[in-house]
Amino acid sequence: MKKLIVASVGVVAALALSSCSGTGGDAGPSTELNVYAWADEIPQTVFDAFTEETGIAVNVDNFDSNETMISKLAAGNSGYDIVEPSQYAVQQLVGQELLEPLDKSKIEGIDNLAPKFADPSYDPGLQYSVPWVWGTTGLLYNATCTGGEEITSWTSLFDPKWKGKINMLDNMLAAYIAGLQVNGYGADSTDEAEIAKATESLIEQKPLLSGYNSTNYGELVASGDVCISEAWGGTSTAKIVEQNPDVHYVLPEEGGSLWVDGLSIAKGAPHQDAAYEFINFLLRPEIAAMATNDGGLASANAAAQEHVTDQGLLSNAAVYASDEQVANADFIVDPGKAMRFYQDGWTRVKAS
Amino acid sequence: MTATTRAIHLGRQEKPKRGSLLLLIPGIASVVLLGVLPLFIVARNSFAVADDYGGITDGLTLENYAKLLDPVYSKTLLFSLGLGLLNTVVCLVIGYLTSYYIVSRPTNRQGFLLLLVIIPFWTDFLVRTFAWITILGSGGPIAGILGIFGIAGFSVIPSNLAVVLGLLYSFLPTAIFPIYASMRSIDPSLKEAATDLGASWWGVHRRVILPLSSPGILGAALLTFIPTMGVFVIPVLLGGGKDPLVGNLIVTLYTEFRNQPMGAAVSMVLLVLMLASMALVGLALKRSSTKRTTTKKTEA
Repeated sequence: MKKLIVASVGVVAALALSSCSGTGGDAGPSTELNVYAWADEIPQTVFDAFTEETGIAVNVDNFDSNETMISKLAAGNSGYDIVEPSQYAVQQLVGQELLEPLDKSKIEGIDNLAPKFADPSYDPGLQYSVPWVWGTTGLLYNATCTGGEEITSWTSLFDPKWKGKINMLDNMLAAYIAGLQVNGYGADSTDEAEIAKATESLIEQKPLLSGYNSTNYGELVASGDVCISEAWGGTSTAKIVEQNPDVHYVLPEEGGSLWVDGLSIAKGAPHQDAAYEFINFLLRPEIAAMATNDGGLASANAAAQEHVTDQGLLSNAAVYASDEQVANADFIVDPGKAMRFYQDGWTRVKAS
Repeated sequence: MTATTRAIHLGRQEKPKRGSLLLLIPGIASVVLLGVLPLFIVARNSFAVADDYGGITDGLTLENYAKLLDPVYSKTLLFSLGLGLLNTVVCLVIGYLTSYYIVSRPTNRQGFLLLLVIIPFWTDFLVRTFAWITILGSGGPIAGILGIFGIAGFSVIPSNLAVVLGLLYSFLPTAIFPIYASMRSIDPSLKEAATDLGASWWGVHRRVILPLSSPGILGAALLTFIPTMGVFVIPVLLGGGKDPLVGNLIVTLYTEFRNQPMGAAVSMVLLVLMLASMALVGLALKRSSTKRTTTKKTEA
């Protein structure tokens, strides 16, 4: 029995030691890089190519919401070098001082980015993030289900004509894009009265809904269980649009919204040199194109477009919405103190 | 003489005690580290103040609990309680009948029947829920059968009926096992005696089997009621997410709302509800066992 105790103590001690020795402050060039990214947004092929060229091993962890990522970084000592926050999450991370400011002298190829991402409102001058992929929030509809009627506006989501055949994304900020824009306000409003009006619209809308679903809404539209749904553009939506000629993805005439997920360096990143090397690697047009070729997402890199193998995706609104289509789209930014108005409103919508 | 035997007795007792205590250390440590400590953090956070970025500041306030009195929250809580009770009752009735069926089969067949109950448990919870989407959805077999009778375009999803079905399916095994366990220990001759003395099917159950299997039934009630309150996937996928349960509320507060203190407060309320229901069941068990011993004594 004594042996057993000694052995178990030994195992515990060994475990404790090994977990500590992971992130030592080694002097020479880094041989590894810890990346914390959205699931499937940086294709595995990109990591493989990076390791092959530089010899730097990449450890990847995934998250499925900005909130998860932020709370993990806020807990401290995450050990991550590269993180991939969405636009409003960049603001939150900067607010909590969880990101390193980027040293532009170490970054090459930032001119490859599309003009609309060169100086975004959420991160003026790209001090903390380098845009990687982007997408839109818009409308997905099934033309058979609507009887051939084209859907072009958020108002359809609030139209009793489609009662029981409408789906909304089960996400507060996403729901308020429609709620605010249908009333003629900006999707990034911080005005209490505007948000209250949007809340009213969303409460009135609830009896018309089939449900709130941000998981398998694409399948619901494809099968006709739902005729019109608020939808996020991107891989899965693009696939459904490609496979089913009746299903269309559009940005509403009120504007819709844009999201961008970019690369940032976490505060206290243990392998900063490798992190800059990684950012520069991802800014290369042929590498950035892999986000579309292997990941099915729109690259923020304008120079990458000629390297996209399926040129049809460049005109598929669910992936590359055109400049005219996104002309009125708002960036969803961090509502800051106004977050409270959204929360109170959304709670009332959900409980009504 | 007695002193030495006592000493020997004590010595014998002490030795394994010290050894087993040492052996228990890893277990106790992991329970404290992974169970008790996080619970204390949640309890502490429920009195804290949230900052704008979802962090926790050190303050001490009762506001998080006071806000829960808002009808918006109490409505969700009441709805969850109602749904939890409904699910528990349905699970108990079906679980009781299933257990009775299994127990009345020959012993060598019972293992196989129990295996059939367990097998779905080996599949991921989410996958099983998605399977129900296929079964109940518009392209599924139920819609197909209804289509034959001319009822086209019928889909059970999304509806609260689908939620109840999904919950029943998920928690039925947890109801069957405790009831089966307590039923198996009932002497079959008691049932035969009751039938011989002229008791009907209903009488046998009401006066013999139901009272004797009550510990299992109460245990099953706990095991179904408590986890039902925390479910958050089923209401979204099967119910359309229009009527959230407490579980959904907690997820929303923690993630989307970046309001950990309020999420913690709701969790604590749920915890207290669970403890209260456990205490109630414990009390009921105690009363039934004392009642039984006293009746036995008076009979003797």
